[in-house]
Amino acid sequence: MKLSLTPKLSTFLKPSLASTPLRRSLCSSSPSPPPPPISLKPQTPLFLRPPIHSATSSDLQQWQDWAKTLASSVGSTFANSDNGPDSTLLLRELNWLVDDAVQQGIENGQRKIRLRVSLEELYLLWKQRIEERKPFQYIVGCEHWRELVLCVQEGVLIPRPETELIVDLVGDVVKGEEGLREGLWADLGTGSGAIAIGIARVLGTGGGRVIATDLSPTAISVAGFNVERYGLQDVVELRKGSWFDPLKDVEGKLAGFVSNPPYIPSDNISGLQAEVGRHEPRVALDGGVDGMDDLLHLCKGAASILKPGGFFAFETNGEKQCKYLVEYMENEARGSFCNLSIIPDFAGIHRFVTGFHK
Amino acid sequence: MRMAMAGSLWKSSCSCSYTCSLVRVIGVSRTSSGAAAAILHASSLFPPPSMALKIQRKSSLTKWRWSQQQPQLPEDRNSNAFFFIRSSKYGTNSISTDGGKGYLESTDQELMSQCEMGTFKTSGPGGQHRNKRESAVRLKHLPTGIIAQASEDRSQHMNRASALSRLRTLIALKVRNAVDLDGYSPPRELLQILPKSSSIRTSDIGNQIGPNNPKFVYGMQALLDLLYAVDGSVSEAAKFLGLSTGALSRLILSDDSLRLAVNELRASEDMKPLR
Ligand SMILES: C[S@@+](CC[C@H](N)C(=O)[O-])C[C@H]1O[C@@H](n2cnc3c(N)ncnc32)[C@H](O)[C@@H]1O
Repeated sequence: MKLSLTPKLSTFLKPSLASTPLRRSLCSSSPSPPPPPISLKPQTPLFLRPPIHSATSSDLQQWQDWAKTLASSVGSTFANSDNGPDSTLLLRELNWLVDDAVQQGIENGQRKIRLRVSLEELYLLWKQRIEERKPFQYIVGCEHWRELVLCVQEGVLIPRPETELIVDLVGDVVKGEEGLREGLWADLGTGSGAIAIGIARVLGTGGGRVIATDLSPTAISVAGFNVERYGLQDVVELRKGSWFDPLKDVEGKLAGFVSNPPYIPSDNISGLQAEVGRHEPRVALDGGVDGMDDLLHLCKGAASILKPGGFFAFETNGEKQCKYLVEYMENEARGSFCNLSIIPDFAGIHRFVTGFHK
Repeated sequence: MRMAMAGSLWKSSCSCSYTCSLVRVIGVSRTSSGAAAAILHASSLFPPPSMALKIQRKSSLTKWRWSQQQPQLPEDRNSNAFFFIRSSKYGTNSISTDGGKGYLESTDQELMSQCEMGTFKTSGPGGQHRNKRESAVRLKHLPTGIIAQASEDRSQHMNRASALSRLRTLIALKVRNAVDLDGYSPPRELLQILPKSSSIRTSDIGNQIGPNNPKFVYGMQALLDLLYAVDGSVSEAAKFLGLSTGALSRLILSDDSLRLAVNELRASEDMKPLR
């Protein structure tokens, strides 16, 4: 099932903007066609909204001063309570919020300030950031990930920097391997579409394709928005469903598949940093009692979904899960896999398990 | 946390054209954006770089080079960077001459594997547990202690790429290889950054590579090696390169970091700075 995006999206995004970062070239002010069902309409991130609000520079300054004071008042209380952000980080985020929301320019020789949200909304947004601990990325509606700017919203996991490496892992295995580069790939549990889009871009124009799946309709719709923004709708196909269910027709045919499934042990969810635990979707985080439910399910299915020589990469919670998975694949699936390896992230934590189907 | 990357994992998919303007050896030097800095400083066990460099500058007969050995990191890992200098006599042909060149010739992923990467605060399990926008990246090149940082982008990936490209520039500027002036012939990477007016440049070298090309650093390193070998004398170096003194000066002045590095050297030799 190919996701059909709302006419609004497809018309204003296609096709001339293919595969360039589209930060400034888009706006969403086109007259709206009949609204699609609520859950399927992705929110427009701040930086893509038209700058239709105005403010005097003193009003803006006043907001900024207020926001800085609020951020500074946090000190290290969040950091101490749940390893959350401290003032320094919050102040940096504030600058990014200004980057996304404020457009300064000269009109008729006068300094003009235009805003993509009203000043009142800016007050509200920053209050939500500090008082509700709403993740910054949900406030601005985007995350900068690799060379991409991906739209995100509540209901979709914010892609993490650790995960950026999965795209490099795939880039390395497809280098000089046409059979893999021109083959069919899958990103299971795609969320914002981050990994799928990253992979589509490393596969290049050789004919390789990516199927991106998710159980969550919100994720599917946001991923669709991002795929279109990068002009990849012919390369990345979105399918809604649970893990391998939507992939029945490609069994044994995948050149590779990757996943960053939920892997946090259920017990740990309540103690998570507020930004994560209170705001990000539980279905994206909770991996069952020991965090391994989904990872094991994926391992079990790997041999039948991959073609011979096919590659897989999973992100995990760390060393314990990595070891367990490798042992599992060596013992239970004896003979099906080769070159199993554990790969650390940039902080040195054993983060990824990779291997090939024999 | 020491990075131990298995196999070939890291690669920058973006090419960063950025010129590093670090050249002051002591303290913090800012890039144009002001957001990134390269810090070089010495551990208390060693003379601060200013002193070390003075020693280096005093004697024109003795050359110094950066140690290729991994520094023993002191307990306090927060105390910035360390940068270690070891002396060695030049001219006895006993020095291996591949130090810095080896680092520069490494691929991005090899170089990355020689680095310890800190996002300024890393703690806890990371991954799905954390949302901290720790996009800032600080790379410490363990063999030399050189540190490169980048924090101006909102993506950690982009900051890694900038930090790595900065690191290459810093290695080119800071790590010296001994040069044997008898029978000196410039390496290809140096010939490539020379203007076509050079009499020893043959047509197969191709077009001149300018400071905005990522390959410029390789030539820049070789040029600095030569300039150190001739104690900062531009006219001497120009002879080895088949250039007029003026043409070599113009080349040096075409890149800020190169110019500042050369002028540091010249100042240490009591020579007038190039302008
Ligand atoms: C940790 S998030 C990863 C999202 C994205 N791939 C990333 O790396 O940013 C896990 C994703 O798996 C999805 N998911 C959870 N259970 C699923 C299932 N049974 N089938 C498919 N996707 C599922 C969630 O909706 C979520 O988007």
